[in-house]
Amino acid sequence: MASVRDQVSEAEWQTRVDLAAAYRLIARNGWDDGIFTHNSARVPGTADQFLINPYGLLFEEITASCLVKVNMDGTLIDADEDTDIIDAGFTIHSGVLEARPDVQSVMHTHTTAGMAVSAQKDGLLPLTQKSLRFYNRVAYHDYEGIADDLDERERLARDLGDKSSIILRNHGLLTAGSTVAEAYDLLRRLEHSCAAQVAAQAGGGELTIPSAEVCEHTARQYDSSGNNQKSSEATFAAYKRSLDRDDPSYAT
Amino acid sequence: MAPLSAVKVEPVRGRVSEEEWKVRVDLAACYRLVALNGWDDVIYTHHSARVPGDENHFLINPFGLKFNEITASSLLKLDVEGNKLLESPYDRLLQGFVIHSAVHMGHPDAHCVMHTHTPAGTAVAAQKNGLLPVSQKALRFYNRIGYHDYEGLADDLEERERIVKALGSNSALILRTHGLLTIGKTVASAFETMGFLEDACETQLLAQSGGAELIMPSPAICEHTAAQYCSDDLTNVEMEWDAHLRMLDRIDPSFRD
Repeated sequence: MASVRDQVSEAEWQTRVDLAAAYRLIARNGWDDGIFTHNSARVPGTADQFLINPYGLLFEEITASCLVKVNMDGTLIDADEDTDIIDAGFTIHSGVLEARPDVQSVMHTHTTAGMAVSAQKDGLLPLTQKSLRFYNRVAYHDYEGIADDLDERERLARDLGDKSSIILRNHGLLTAGSTVAEAYDLLRRLEHSCAAQVAAQAGGGELTIPSAEVCEHTARQYDSSGNNQKSSEATFAAYKRSLDRDDPSYAT
Repeated sequence: MAPLSAVKVEPVRGRVSEEEWKVRVDLAACYRLVALNGWDDVIYTHHSARVPGDENHFLINPFGLKFNEITASSLLKLDVEGNKLLESPYDRLLQGFVIHSAVHMGHPDAHCVMHTHTPAGTAVAAQKNGLLPVSQKALRFYNRIGYHDYEGLADDLEERERIVKALGSNSALILRTHGLLTIGKTVASAFETMGFLEDACETQLLAQSGGAELIMPSPAICEHTAAQYCSDDLTNVEMEWDAHLRMLDRIDPSFRD
């Protein structure tokens, strides 16, 4: 498809490239789900516009130019007639982006490990260093059906509160970041935490859980390191170099 | 990368209707996707499709080929008794075919029948409570899936009637101790249903790890969600199938041979 690079601001183009890279990375990791689930990023300089995947493409096919711009009312901006987005995706992403001005990017997956932990009553357990990043810092949202009810946005935003990660019961995972890189970094840590949890639980062996003090201490180390932004940017830049070697078409 | 398929068979495109050719391409794609997802079982299990316009004729895999070797032309065309209607150097596995032909004949809408032996599917099939409503994907099958008790390797023709009865009006069937089966009006539809069922089974096993206590939505929400899935039209399925075909074309388009 034709590049939109000349039709958008440089800041929007960079956000598009980053969001397209996130789609490609999710596909590469096997965290995609056919043409379903969605990841979004707010259009820089706007409060009420965001970018999301066009319905019908695999994540491995997503490019910076194909991302669809939509406002909080669900109106597609500068889109041709054939373009559509997934209703449930709009509900979930507009709900978070509208309620949280500090959030610039939202990611959502249906991985089997994420869905599995979401179905466990005790949710995410503090079993691994990675999971301690989420110690008392991950929210839960009860299942209501396929998210085609716009009223669910309020309940989702209320359950998320001021946190950056939420487990959607019986459904999957969602992370929110101040950049695409940060949302992706949180997603990676949450996915790994869930996969490690179900692996540790296999067979019902007794588990070792650090003391509450150590868990809280570690979580605060993550909170206050001040390096989260820097490390997520450095990590994401490395991933983009890897994508550039494999298939640079995401950035077109 | 060299094409996966080194199997040489006579092209049949000019010898079958355009509609049959399209179903052949879709069914060959289905075999390739099953292999890519790791849902295959060496040279066993089958996926079959009715020949358009010939309701008693079916397409199925040639016995002996890995699923990543299957092409549109290599698929066998059989009548309901399993007789080959086009010559082929390959034979068929009769005991598998009789299950498929029975389901096709028992359900006029079952234009495609898929059957797998995946560990996750077989594991849930072994659990007394079967598929649990623990994930959004599983809710698609809430009170909408059949169970068929295990009777041994399916070489008893009388078992066919019991399988058809167990499936009932559902699109999915759990074969106890054995595996999964889905049907669809199209290859795309049967494949999409199988994808949901396979993910639902895998998620259930992961959620059950170590005997963790599980959360299940209320029956009202389960039923609401299942009804949401039922009201979906075929558009999603076809759109998703086109995406799968584009992926196969990028990897190895030889399924179209």
